[in-house]
Amino acid sequence: MIDFLLNFSQGTGIYAFMNSPWGWPIAESIHFLGLCLLIGTVGLFDLRMMGFAKEISLSELHRLIPIGVAGYLLNVITGTMFLSTAPDQYLYNPAVQSKSLFMLIAGINMLFFYATTAADVHSGASSSRVVLRAKIMAGISLVCWCAVIVCGRLITYYRPPYHWCLWC
Amino acid sequence: MRESGVAFFSSLTLHSLSMAFVVGINFVVALRVVGFAPRLEIAALCRFYVIHWYAAALIFISGSALLLAYPAKALTNPVFYIKLCAIIIGLLISKRIQSTFSNKPDASIDSTCIKLAYLSIVLWIVTLTAGRFLAYTHSVLLASRFY
Repeated sequence: MIDFLLNFSQGTGIYAFMNSPWGWPIAESIHFLGLCLLIGTVGLFDLRMMGFAKEISLSELHRLIPIGVAGYLLNVITGTMFLSTAPDQYLYNPAVQSKSLFMLIAGINMLFFYATTAADVHSGASSSRVVLRAKIMAGISLVCWCAVIVCGRLITYYRPPYHWCLWC
Repeated sequence: MRESGVAFFSSLTLHSLSMAFVVGINFVVALRVVGFAPRLEIAALCRFYVIHWYAAALIFISGSALLLAYPAKALTNPVFYIKLCAIIIGLLISKRIQSTFSNKPDASIDSTCIKLAYLSIVLWIVTLTAGRFLAYTHSVLLASRFY
């Protein structure tokens, strides 16, 4: 796996860019910009579904989601650049594992939301069951994305992670 | 601060989280002002400024804590002052946009507002970039180096 990622990084020029003087911080800046776009769109949509700023139309606020998706794509691209350049520092890092888990939960939660609840929310259905389900999903989404940011900080900070890692 | 792993890490995390909310909200409002999602009411969107200002206060508190931990590292680095200026001007623009549109559903978007919105986007990108580059551009870590 490590060899595959390193070969990919070296073959695509990512390795050379990331090991240039400013490659890593440029990629980190873009990565955090993507996270901000995600929080600014998906996070605000979650807050609205949880009951904040009720005068805003959910359908209209949902038009901002493509910006969040663009932010997420920036994160995937730059995240791949980090991972493929230094795979040994990421693959076995419990903070990366935790971050991936929260991203997975957020992804499943999003799929579940669009499969079961989004249509009701957009049509303005206000039955207490729909509202409660939407609030719970929004809460899970918001907590997951905040946890992704926290774990992102943990990646570079706690090494070795004896203070918090329960499975290390 | 420097010796306590929990205190330093908590400040770092809080700084990142609150920065994500401040930048995210400013981006969304600025994008709306420059014409994205035109049916979305800016006045209603301004409701999120409540969260924005709480997050901005947390940026100030956590940033001060991080500065106290490594004062020489930041204060001797020009990038720190670029970040500080970008944040201050960015927040002043936020205040201006908020006062223009908050509780005023009929307020029109004039060219000054659009220019400020573009400037806001640029300034928050500068803030994020400077914040990341701070970790790579310092030439002094501890003030004890001078003694």
